[in-house]
Amino acid sequence: MKSLIHATLAIVVTCGVLWFAASKLEASGAAGGEGVLTVYNWGEYIDPALIDQFEEETGITVIYETFDSNEAMLTKIKQGGSAYDIAVPSEYAIETMIEEDLLIEIDHSKIPNLKNIDPYFLDLPFDPKNRYSIPYFWGTVGIVYNPNDIPEHITFDSWDDLWDPALKNKVFLVDGAREVIGMGLNSLGYSLNSRDDNELREAVEKLKGLNGNVKAIIGDEITPLMINNEATVSLTFSGQAADMMWENEELDFAVPSEGSNLWFDNMVIPKTAQNVEGAHLFINFMLDAEVAAQNTDYVGYSIPNKAAWELLDEEVINDERFYPPEEMRGNLEVYENLGLELLGTYNEYFLEFKMSLN
Amino acid sequence: MRSNLTTTAKVYLAIVFVILYAPIFYLIFYSFNSGGTMSSFESFTLEHYKAVFNDNRLLVILINTTIVALLSALIATMIGTLGAIGIVSMSNKKMRRTLLSLNNILIVSPDVVIGASFLILFTMVGIQLGFTSVLISHIAFSIPIVVLMVLPKLFEMNTNLIDAALDLGANRRDVLTRVILPYIKPGIFAGFFMALTYSLDDFAVTFFVTGNGFSTLSVEIYSMARAGISLTVNAISGLVFVVTVGIVVMYYLITKRTRKSGEV
Repeated sequence: MKSLIHATLAIVVTCGVLWFAASKLEASGAAGGEGVLTVYNWGEYIDPALIDQFEEETGITVIYETFDSNEAMLTKIKQGGSAYDIAVPSEYAIETMIEEDLLIEIDHSKIPNLKNIDPYFLDLPFDPKNRYSIPYFWGTVGIVYNPNDIPEHITFDSWDDLWDPALKNKVFLVDGAREVIGMGLNSLGYSLNSRDDNELREAVEKLKGLNGNVKAIIGDEITPLMINNEATVSLTFSGQAADMMWENEELDFAVPSEGSNLWFDNMVIPKTAQNVEGAHLFINFMLDAEVAAQNTDYVGYSIPNKAAWELLDEEVINDERFYPPEEMRGNLEVYENLGLELLGTYNEYFLEFKMSLN
Repeated sequence: MRSNLTTTAKVYLAIVFVILYAPIFYLIFYSFNSGGTMSSFESFTLEHYKAVFNDNRLLVILINTTIVALLSALIATMIGTLGAIGIVSMSNKKMRRTLLSLNNILIVSPDVVIGASFLILFTMVGIQLGFTSVLISHIAFSIPIVVLMVLPKLFEMNTNLIDAALDLGANRRDVLTRVILPYIKPGIFAGFFMALTYSLDDFAVTFFVTGNGFSTLSVEIYSMARAGISLTVNAISGLVFVVTVGIVVMYYLITKRTRKSGEV
């Protein structure tokens, strides 16, 4: 009996000690205060060396947390209880955040490096005059593929190549209603922000023809599959494609000529921010030409920073797959905020498409 | 029983063990790879282990997982042991068999079902997902295991012992603390360690009931692996493996000691 009591006490004491250690660790990571800046960003979306550099230059301690979807980030910021000073949502999420009054206006006078950004990426419809957001990275949606595993005539200059019978059971799609339905709309020459039910209907019917070619509809898991040559063709985001191509040199990326999505991830300051001053410093720091160039080298996405382009490898900057020149961008569209009801319709059509696959 | 194994038997045994352990060692081997992927080994490094210890969030999750495992195993052992004693002391045979079957159903029913029903229960009752919800569900699925580990010891015990103790003037409390519990102690420890390992590696149930920033290692590893292969995952898995081996060794030492002291 004694040994049982001893064992019980030992366990309880261990738990107490561990709990204390955990709360200590958490406290050292807790947000708030003058000398601390909490950054909430996508995973693998910044060069960690830059955070160290920022800490050294300003004396501010940076706490870096990551999220894996705009929705997850939105919920956490909306719920309160968090104190993020910087977040990096995509354009449609920024629109929602502005509508729901979750953001602080950015003081442009504190961000002199804003002049480095290419004017093309400023004053966009989702945030006129950049009152709430500053560009971080941008990219497109396209097709990453392994040219060695598919017939030569398929170059994905057109979305219709996805329907080619030679790709039987080879196509992977990203699990996103906007991306897939948008691809269907684009292939028919319609806008990917279409609000016309007939066009949507037509797009879904066309997508159903992909049955047989589609092997799976998945998320981030596609990266290792493409790298290990376990998947051949996949609808994906340009940055993710760049990641894959970095690891597996056989791969190629194409944005079909009918058009596609153009997306932006911008830095914002949430209303819950504790260190607004530091947040401005951080944004300005990230816009510095050298910093931006180094970050691009690490992350691999396309940077909107004109001054950084001169510091980057010409090979990178002139790669039209990732830095489409302006005349090519004409076919690219930014997602508009469709509103809840229409978004529901998109989701329903996407579900219908998924159900039709077997 | 102690017969020398034939060569075929030895070879067969060796193959079985290699198949069981090779994937684990393959994983741990690559956790020392400086190459960054699992495709080719470049050179030895400890940077992935360093990354684990530099990541506060990961450490907190590691500690949380341990706390949940220890506490849930402890509480489940208490409830389960008392439950087992209760089941054995039941005079109605039919009732006893029904209770035992009900206990066993919980062990064989799929984790997904248990996890989903807990999620529904917690949201209905209004318990916030987090530490409490994980702890409660871990206690719940550990209890049947403890009961099952303690029962054989109780069945094995000679009931005359209890009668003798009562004859010698022991009250009911003494019978429990001085006769029954010392006798079934090995079963209690076995139950505790089983519950501990079940809680440590449970994924399915935990996946449903974690939330609000609270997470356990298995759930965290799952979400890390989803985003692509990182050797940090290997490093954590290696650490967990070492801890598990440690628990097994500890269990072995404890049972050996109690057996010895029982003989004296």
